[in-house]
Amino acid sequence: MKATIKHLLVCAAIITTTSTTAAIAAKPTPDMNKVFHYQFPVAETGFDPAQANDLYSNTVMEALFEPMLTYDYLARPSKLAPRTADLPVMSEAGKVYTFKIRPGTLFTDDPAFKGKPRELVAEDYIFSIKRLADPKLHSQWRYLVEGKILGIAEAIKTATKSGKFDYNQKIAGLEALDKYTLKVTLEAPDFNYPYILAMPTFGALAREVVEHYGIDIPAHPVGTGPYRLDKWARSSLISLIANPVYRGHVWSYTAQEKGDEELVKAMQGKLLPTVGRIEIAIMEEDQARLLAFQSGELDMFQLEGPLAPKVMDGAVLKPEFAATGAKLSRIIDPEIQYPYLSTRDPTIGGMSKERIALRRAIFLAYDDTEEIRIVHNSQAEALDYPIPPGVVGYLPGYRSVNRTNLPLAKALLDKFGYKVGADGFRTTPQGKPLVIKYTSRPDSLGRQQEEMWQKTFNAIKIRMESDKKKFPEILKAEKACQLQMRTNRWIADFPDGDNFMQLFYSKNIGQSNNSCTDVPEYDALYEKAMVMPAGPERDKLYVDMARVLEYYGAHRISMARARNMVMQSHVMGYKKHPILLADWLYIDMEKPKGEKQ
Amino acid sequence: MSSFILRRLWQMIPTMLGVVLLVFFLFSFVGGDPAYLLAGKISNKEQIENIRTQLGINQPYYVQLWIFIKQILTGDFGVSWATNEPVSHIIATRIGPSLTVLIPIMIIEAVLAVLVALGVAYVRGSLTDRAIMVICTVAMSVSLLVYIIIVGQYVLAYQFGWFPVQGWGESFSENLFHYSLLPILLGVAVGIAPNTRLYRTFILDEINQDYVRTARAKGLSEHKVMLKHVLRNALIPIITNLMIYLPSLLIGHFLIERFFSIPGIGREVILAVERSDFPVIKAITVYVAAATMLSNLAADLLYKAVDPRVQLK
Repeated sequence: MKATIKHLLVCAAIITTTSTTAAIAAKPTPDMNKVFHYQFPVAETGFDPAQANDLYSNTVMEALFEPMLTYDYLARPSKLAPRTADLPVMSEAGKVYTFKIRPGTLFTDDPAFKGKPRELVAEDYIFSIKRLADPKLHSQWRYLVEGKILGIAEAIKTATKSGKFDYNQKIAGLEALDKYTLKVTLEAPDFNYPYILAMPTFGALAREVVEHYGIDIPAHPVGTGPYRLDKWARSSLISLIANPVYRGHVWSYTAQEKGDEELVKAMQGKLLPTVGRIEIAIMEEDQARLLAFQSGELDMFQLEGPLAPKVMDGAVLKPEFAATGAKLSRIIDPEIQYPYLSTRDPTIGGMSKERIALRRAIFLAYDDTEEIRIVHNSQAEALDYPIPPGVVGYLPGYRSVNRTNLPLAKALLDKFGYKVGADGFRTTPQGKPLVIKYTSRPDSLGRQQEEMWQKTFNAIKIRMESDKKKFPEILKAEKACQLQMRTNRWIADFPDGDNFMQLFYSKNIGQSNNSCTDVPEYDALYEKAMVMPAGPERDKLYVDMARVLEYYGAHRISMARARNMVMQSHVMGYKKHPILLADWLYIDMEKPKGEKQ
Repeated sequence: MSSFILRRLWQMIPTMLGVVLLVFFLFSFVGGDPAYLLAGKISNKEQIENIRTQLGINQPYYVQLWIFIKQILTGDFGVSWATNEPVSHIIATRIGPSLTVLIPIMIIEAVLAVLVALGVAYVRGSLTDRAIMVICTVAMSVSLLVYIIIVGQYVLAYQFGWFPVQGWGESFSENLFHYSLLPILLGVAVGIAPNTRLYRTFILDEINQDYVRTARAKGLSEHKVMLKHVLRNALIPIITNLMIYLPSLLIGHFLIERFFSIPGIGREVILAVERSDFPVIKAITVYVAAATMLSNLAADLLYKAVDPRVQLK
């Protein structure tokens, strides 16, 4: 199996090297009259790959900086593709990855380069990865390199002690074999590491630029991507302009799903970018976004749940909206929403039969479909499996044993001695009061979900207590395993099942296992699966793991939200990608569109 | 006069100290620990401690309080915890858009409200007076700004296309005469009703005074009586009302700014609260407190200018 993967990666590398040579032979000629107007519902924070910790800054950075790898635009489930480097050659059973960076990739011009063209080299990636480990930058992405790349953990320890990260030090796991060859050695085999290296966080910065701008580096993003930052009015407008030294990339993808043929027909062979300018406005209010789109001020926007009843009829646009020429690209987000009951909680945790029965009864009583309809305006899809659609390892047709079944929930509680007391609420089998504390955020989603759970608990006659906490306080309590119950959510960092299955591994408590799931059977299976490449063998283990979680009633895998991208008729070639953030890099616009059309 | 000003400035110190203590303890105890937000999706104890050390929030409270006081004295509140942008730069760049919208609202609203109030006070008891008062009362009952904005933005900007739906440009004139017109119109529409009622009351209080009767007995025209005598005396409570409004210019108007995508200070305050961005919240709170005290002082000085009989003690 491992040999097969190695063979595939090498083959893909050869094929893509050939195709990309064609891509860089020509020079893109973006039309500066084509301006793509887009919006973010939340303000960005800054454009430093190491420091930015929000979705929107990372979206912009995907257009400015380049990691070595990216994703095939149309492939589903998502598949890696070369960006500045060919697909890596894997060796030592997933412990070593060797990347060949394509010569001739240039950073966009900047005063830090003193008027000379600056080529991207392997050392730039080494420097950029080291920045993720610098304790002073408190990068939230540190976990992607610490304990993963050989020698990084030691470098962090030394820097924490000395107060300064030495960027000149050699890191055993990061080696530039020559100007264009980067060897990444991991502490342990990890077949998913190329996915991690495709994240915008791993975009390359030039050391001289970082040193030139110092603390102000988030305002000076100098990368090799198709666009560069032209104007930035913080929290208001981000204006990107085509990078004049960008090598260009050819739109060359194969149709995979229904509707792809149309995109392929319209876009195949085009040298991107063709759009000269991208203008991203920050629009926090739903109404402002919708009206701006309807009045032509926006070319595309993300339709949030509260607007859905105005625009959507289930999974399609309302006829009157579609009649205006508007188009929709819709996916189910690669995420899971999972209410959890802590297995470490003194009241409801543990592995005794009556505790397991209690937890399962609570999950059996909950009606996800009602939450989807009422809270999410039908813009979500019920899930049973811990791996969502679009992610490697997803299993369509899987059915949870904890699906909604109120009579069964009540019967289970009765059977295990949770009797209804004089006050109308159930007690523990020992006759003590039974109260479940449900924690949520004091926002509208938190309130609505709490109401749904209150209704559920009333139906099975269990007393529920509301616990409102601000988000930082929730995180703090979760890291210390102090929450009893909450509805959590996780969106994919990369499109592999491991990114979801690791959430329930007990050794990740205090890190990503926020539900404090502690099930030894699950851990044993996970330890086997984590060193396996994706494939039927690992999938079988994943099914067993999902069942273990259900039997012990640790979670209820509940749903994933839909992501609806609504665009004007003149936007060509757009299809929402589950992982790529700046997927508008792959579009063209049918007619020249001036600033104020 | 100068001793009055000095005394008032001196009295501001304990007031400001109270504000500082209130802000500090409120955010230290109920503001949430920003380290958990900044640490991201996956973090460990050591990382969180490292962030807390860098932010200085694991130091004893008295040390943190002293740092806060030093920041106020030097005017340097450091950088935003969320964006690394200097707080002074945040305030300097966001205050302009807020004032571009709010100053015209304040001026237009005050002028219109005073003129309408004078008019209806002059014809007090008439059908016009009663009709305008009914309209004002109804407007006050329904004039929650959010509804006015939603309807105004939908009808005037989208349906009629008279204004842009939202946006902000680079030049002052473009912003004032293109993007700000609708926000200003809606802001005035909301504020004018309560102010008209209030100012009418102030003016009616004056109209019934003996000096007005004397002025009329002297044979002065109604025009002169209203504008020279009544209005001048009614200006004191009107100035008080305006001065109360003045410090709020510094915190912008988050509803108007959010709906019309205006990069003002009001949006920034909401963002800072959502991100537990204590340096930004601290700086804006302190500035607003100082501005409130200074505008109160300015109001007292204006009383003296408007009415020489006022004694500043």
